[in-house]
Amino acid sequence: MSWHRIRVVMRRHAYVLWRAPHRWFDIGFWPLMDIILWGSLGTYVARNSTSATSGTPYLIAGIMMFHILFQSQIAVGTGFLEETWSRNLLNVLTTPVTEFEYLAGTAAFGLFKVLFALATLSITAFGFFRFELSSIGWSILPIALILTIVGWSAGIANIGIVLRFGQGAEILIWGSNFILMAFSGVFNPVDALPGALQPVARILPSTHAFNALRAVLHGNPLPGNEIALGVIGAFVMLLAGFAFTAWMLHVFRRRGFVTRFS
Amino acid sequence: MTQQAADVLVAHELRKTFNKVEAVRGISITVAPGERVGLLGPNGAGKTTTLLMLLGAILPDTGSVTIVGHRLPRRRSTAMESVGFAAGYLPLPDRLKVREALGVFAGWYGVRNEKQAVSEALERFEITHLADRLCSALSSGQRTLVGIVKATLHNPKLLVLDEPTASLDPDVALRVRTGLLQFCASTGAALLITSHDMREVEMLTERVIFLANGQVVANDTPAAIAATFGYDDLEGVFMQLADEARRA
Repeated sequence: MSWHRIRVVMRRHAYVLWRAPHRWFDIGFWPLMDIILWGSLGTYVARNSTSATSGTPYLIAGIMMFHILFQSQIAVGTGFLEETWSRNLLNVLTTPVTEFEYLAGTAAFGLFKVLFALATLSITAFGFFRFELSSIGWSILPIALILTIVGWSAGIANIGIVLRFGQGAEILIWGSNFILMAFSGVFNPVDALPGALQPVARILPSTHAFNALRAVLHGNPLPGNEIALGVIGAFVMLLAGFAFTAWMLHVFRRRGFVTRFS
Repeated sequence: MTQQAADVLVAHELRKTFNKVEAVRGISITVAPGERVGLLGPNGAGKTTTLLMLLGAILPDTGSVTIVGHRLPRRRSTAMESVGFAAGYLPLPDRLKVREALGVFAGWYGVRNEKQAVSEALERFEITHLADRLCSALSSGQRTLVGIVKATLHNPKLLVLDEPTASLDPDVALRVRTGLLQFCASTGAALLITSHDMREVEMLTERVIFLANGQVVANDTPAAIAATFGYDDLEGVFMQLADEARRA
């Protein structure tokens, strides 16, 4: 493995971000819209509720933390898609860059996107709704770790699907986020899901991260069992994502699919 | 050292079938250090599939590829450090300037002084004026030239070019051929090139491998192949093989 080549992958994607204003929508505009939407919804529900506890912090914290997963996932997914959109995939495949180095570079560059999006979310949430991300405290770190790894895993698995089924499958890069959002209990506990879907939700490491987030917001200590389950599950998911995409890349090379992209 | 270890490229008995169609049927190719070899054949002969197998982008069903002693696919990354590849049909990364794109590829190839390598490579093919243009704003001919510069950035031991001058004006194509000959002479790089321009092949290569229907049908110097088929030059050989392939 070459750290130099990983750094160059990051530089390659930095050039793209710099020159593509619409890419800033992902890390600037959508986070802003999400805070306005979920913050307003929480405020409205709180005004019409007799409950002593406002749901606004849960909704805002939920969407903020979900953006960690979302940004990590699309950074990896669109990083790879960039090579297919510019028909550069064969050029990349004929350099010494390994699959791992390429994914590591896009994932590491994705961390920058996560930080930028979090900054946008934090400023907007405080400015409009007086919600402070710091209210979560240091508990944010293990929760963010789980969500980042889940995002990378989903992004890597999506690359495998695009390699196997072609560019038509790229809709999954965005679509998989909605699946994860619905099943991870971003805004609500898992037991609010239909009973048949709850077992699926409990398998996801992101569900445990959001359970832990709600516990902390409720004033409880960080639940160690949820974090442990989340971390273990996230690493299993990451390994499964790598294995799946390595398999798909083997199929891609064996069946000569590179000609689809060049 | 064995002959196989000394050759920069050794491909042995490559076979590839797509959807029950045999695209490549037992092709073996060797390229010695510094040797310039043409890979020719009519459309559908198996040239591109063979090239992509040599580069590790497609896995052969059977057979083996070894580049500078490194067997694919296991040692692909190390092998590719010694290979430069460009194709006339391949674009470059959108949204990057030429200098930036070449810097990225230089970095991936392991070149330490990227700026110097990029400047020297641009000068070699007399296109320094394109350095600050966006890749997406280049004409197809300019893009091809930059692609060839990309392939030579790291002084590879083997340069693989697929139809490199297909979209170039005659004067630019001549400049590219001259630049390639100078590059191979000065660095000792071997060249494996496909082209439909038989005059180009006669100018650039010392040996020609003719493919037809996924098999090697001739492997010799351009003059010897032309003589074997009873022609004065490769053009006649190509026309005959293309005609036979159509009838087959």
